[in-house]
Amino acid sequence: MPGRPNSDVESQTPLSAQVFQILLSLLDEDLHGYALIQDIRRRTDGEVVLTASTLYAAAKRLLSSGWIEEVEHETPPPGHDPRRRYYRITARGREAARAEALRLERLTAMARDKRLLGGLRVTPQPKGSR
Amino acid sequence: MSLTSRAFRALTRLLPAPVAERDAEAICAVYDELDAEAHRMRGWIGGVTTLATELPGFFALVVREHAAGWRIRRSTRRQERMLASYQLPYSEDTSMVESLLQDVRYAVRALRKSVSFTAIATATLALGIGANTAIFSVVNGVLLQPLPFPRPDRIVTVMDRSGSGTSGIYGSSPANFIDLRRDTRSATHVAAFSTQRVTLLGPGEPESMQAVTTVGDMFGVLGVRPLIGRTLSPNDDSPASPAAVVLGYETWQRLFGEDRSIIGKSVTINRTPRVVVGVMPKEFRFAPAPADLWIPEQWSAEYTGNRDQYYLQIIARLRPSATVERFSAELEAIAARLRTDHAEFNTGLHLGATLLKETVVSNVRTRLFVLMGAVGFLLLITCANLANLTLARASVRHGEFAVRRALGAARGRIVRQILTESLLLATVGGAAGLLLGQLLLRVIVAAEKTSLPRVDEIALDPTAFAFAIAASLVAGIAVGLLPALRASTASSMEALRQGLRGSGTHQGARSVLVVAELAVALMLLTGAGLLLRSFRQLLAVDTGFATERLLTMQLNVGNKSMEKVEESVERLRAIPGVRAVAVTSQLPVSGRGTGAWLNIADRPTPPNETPPAEAYRVITPDYFSTVGIRLVRGRFPTSDDRADRASAVVVNEALAKKYWPTEDPIGKQIRLGAPGNYLMPPSTIVGIVGNTPDAGLDAPPIPAVFMPLRVAPWWPAYTYVIRTSGSPAAATSAVRRELRALFPTTAIRNVQTMDDVLHDSMAPARLSMRLISAFAIVALITAALGVFGVLSFVVAQRTRELGIRMALGAAPGDVRRMVIGYGSRLAVGGLVIGLVGSFALTRLISTMLFGITPTDPLTFGVVSAVLLGIGILASWLPARRATRIDPIVALRSD
Repeated sequence: MPGRPNSDVESQTPLSAQVFQILLSLLDEDLHGYALIQDIRRRTDGEVVLTASTLYAAAKRLLSSGWIEEVEHETPPPGHDPRRRYYRITARGREAARAEALRLERLTAMARDKRLLGGLRVTPQPKGSR
Repeated sequence: MSLTSRAFRALTRLLPAPVAERDAEAICAVYDELDAEAHRMRGWIGGVTTLATELPGFFALVVREHAAGWRIRRSTRRQERMLASYQLPYSEDTSMVESLLQDVRYAVRALRKSVSFTAIATATLALGIGANTAIFSVVNGVLLQPLPFPRPDRIVTVMDRSGSGTSGIYGSSPANFIDLRRDTRSATHVAAFSTQRVTLLGPGEPESMQAVTTVGDMFGVLGVRPLIGRTLSPNDDSPASPAAVVLGYETWQRLFGEDRSIIGKSVTINRTPRVVVGVMPKEFRFAPAPADLWIPEQWSAEYTGNRDQYYLQIIARLRPSATVERFSAELEAIAARLRTDHAEFNTGLHLGATLLKETVVSNVRTRLFVLMGAVGFLLLITCANLANLTLARASVRHGEFAVRRALGAARGRIVRQILTESLLLATVGGAAGLLLGQLLLRVIVAAEKTSLPRVDEIALDPTAFAFAIAASLVAGIAVGLLPALRASTASSMEALRQGLRGSGTHQGARSVLVVAELAVALMLLTGAGLLLRSFRQLLAVDTGFATERLLTMQLNVGNKSMEKVEESVERLRAIPGVRAVAVTSQLPVSGRGTGAWLNIADRPTPPNETPPAEAYRVITPDYFSTVGIRLVRGRFPTSDDRADRASAVVVNEALAKKYWPTEDPIGKQIRLGAPGNYLMPPSTIVGIVGNTPDAGLDAPPIPAVFMPLRVAPWWPAYTYVIRTSGSPAAATSAVRRELRALFPTTAIRNVQTMDDVLHDSMAPARLSMRLISAFAIVALITAALGVFGVLSFVVAQRTRELGIRMALGAAPGDVRRMVIGYGSRLAVGGLVIGLVGSFALTRLISTMLFGITPTDPLTFGVVSAVLLGIGILASWLPARRATRIDPIVALRSD
């Protein structure tokens, strides 16, 4: 439902970890629910674990914000479960994910300034490495 | 489709109809794939875990979707709702869920009206479910869960079937192990291990570590991979290989700050530099023993032929096609060969195999199942009591139900209404119980840290969570079913005629419930009484030495340190506040310790037979006077008793009685060890000392030989015992300082007083006793409340009758006797049934008892008296109320 007031990207950050991860997973390809869960579990090393219900709830929110959309799979692979729903990220969703990533980057930069994390620039590279 | 998948599909009916129609299939599709994956990886446990993980999010979704629906409909529905709760059948468009929600709303309203009932019910359910969840978590983590290895049902321990060992686990010699490994056909991997304390010199202070010394492909048997680097392989066993060590995750984390570059670096363990080759993952637990690190044995060629050092535990991984029975038969065939080929080392040897898990947990099985039974009983009583209360409420609400039925509510609707109420109670109680269970679990785990195997695998995991949910559901149904059926069968016409006040039709059922509660409470009470009595017996055991103000600490001094040990004793003795100092290789009450062949000079062992093995301790001469062990006959050792001249030893009474029941052992010559491997020269027994309960206060004393330090100067690890004049704590730091100065590279460990050692040795018995006593007390209080509740109700119901009796001249005493008489009959009924049950059940705990029989008359007498007393006491208050009935008021009522 494009044009809804709450789909304004800036106003929705910070995103929940689950929502952000779903958007990240969809950046490369359209995925169905189970594949999304697997992809997120693998990428985050099990730190973000979605269940069927939490995935559904998050997808519903994302769909109503117009950040993702449901797509028909043109050529279903063999062994394809017709009940599967495939999701694709929209331009708006891409924008939202990017806004979140920028926000995280700004936060990390602040933490670096305070020397909470090792600075990026001061890491000495041994000579001849790379 | 799997069962869990079907269960989840059924649950999706809880979603609001429009949502379910549109999306249930899509959600199920995802769930089915998750479920299938989990089944592939972990079987049905995986399925249950997936369901348990799914549920919180799912219920949140259900609530959210319904809430969204309600917000829209709320304003229009408000009036209809009141009516609808009194009406049935529902109009066509009410979904199952909506009518259920009506029931829930109605139940919430009903429960809020009777706050005290709700509070009591929730609290008792929370207690019952919490205790059950905690104990179940323990049982689940220790007994039910498979060991955390791939195909744990393939891993077996080699057992001694000759009936001589106490634990049943076979202690193998190096050569026997090598023969056995060579000759087995049904195992893919065979390995052996032993455990020892080592000192690790790392980046910081010297650390005392629990090391597992392995031979063969130990990690192949377990089927585990390292986190980084590699595990130990049979190649590491060769003395030519560089000495290796594999670190446990915690060791790695604590000492090396998770430094991945540790691989290939060297650490010093017991003065030997070793290369770190791998680190095990965080989840890895070496099931058979506590372990901080693993090192290979690296036997010399000569030592691989040794057959007189029996210290290796053997474990093996069976081929997929092999069975434990077949492997056992194979082992027995090997044992038969060993018996003939090396008769002098293997007299009477018989071997078999048991699943590794059995050997790990068999000691605690009874204790845990008894606890599980006790909490099960507690939950039963809780449910009976709540069913009782609910019956009482149902009686009072008789009129309400009658009106609803007259208005057209079907029986099913009333049943559902009451069940919804009790399930709601059980849900709230269960949620509180989970929190309570978590707390109780923490207490148990802390108390059992050292005495329970697999203790760090205990957690309130999804299985335990599912158990708590199931327990709550069953409790909810158990509480509500009887009242629900009762309430719904009552004829509506009769009820209306009686008016809207309560009816007294449920007394029979309620009395039965109370009798059952009392009976079960008595059984728990008997169990608790027996455990309490045996614990007192345990405390009264004569330890044979003086435990107070005795400081102990262990030190691995190395095997060429006799002079340094003697020097350290002298230096510690000079510390102010220290009265006496000695060292021993094995503290009293801390197990059998090491043993060796006992050769008696005037009773040579026939050829081709193995001499008996007996425990020995290495001590300084002052040990007995320091610890306070008495001299029975002869003399204590002195510093003149030494290996190079006039070697002498002391034995304890148990050994004297075993070998010289009718003679005087003093003056006899004995020698410990095997030909070519003697621990001492032939030595004369110069004294007999008193026994100490080394295998535990509840076990018979262990026969033991005491060798003075100068007779066995090679012994490498000692416990210092220090008798202080003031508090042992005051001397601790000075003692540590002296020892640290003398042995700078050795870790001092287990600094504790002898009282602590004794206290710890009783920890399992103490905890069982305390838990069961606590459960029994709660059960007794609950049952007493039951008696009180029923009698109060009877009195209230019969106010009119009692009023008439008193108006007609009955004395208050008669009325009181009548009520108390009724209460006593309940108590006696419970007593009789409970006693029968106790006689049947207490034999199950006979292995946990010490010094008394399972039918100890004193315990049975006392608990019977307590139960009767409580029964009468609980009748007293209602009885008093009955005598205060004013006939005028009573007759006028209603």
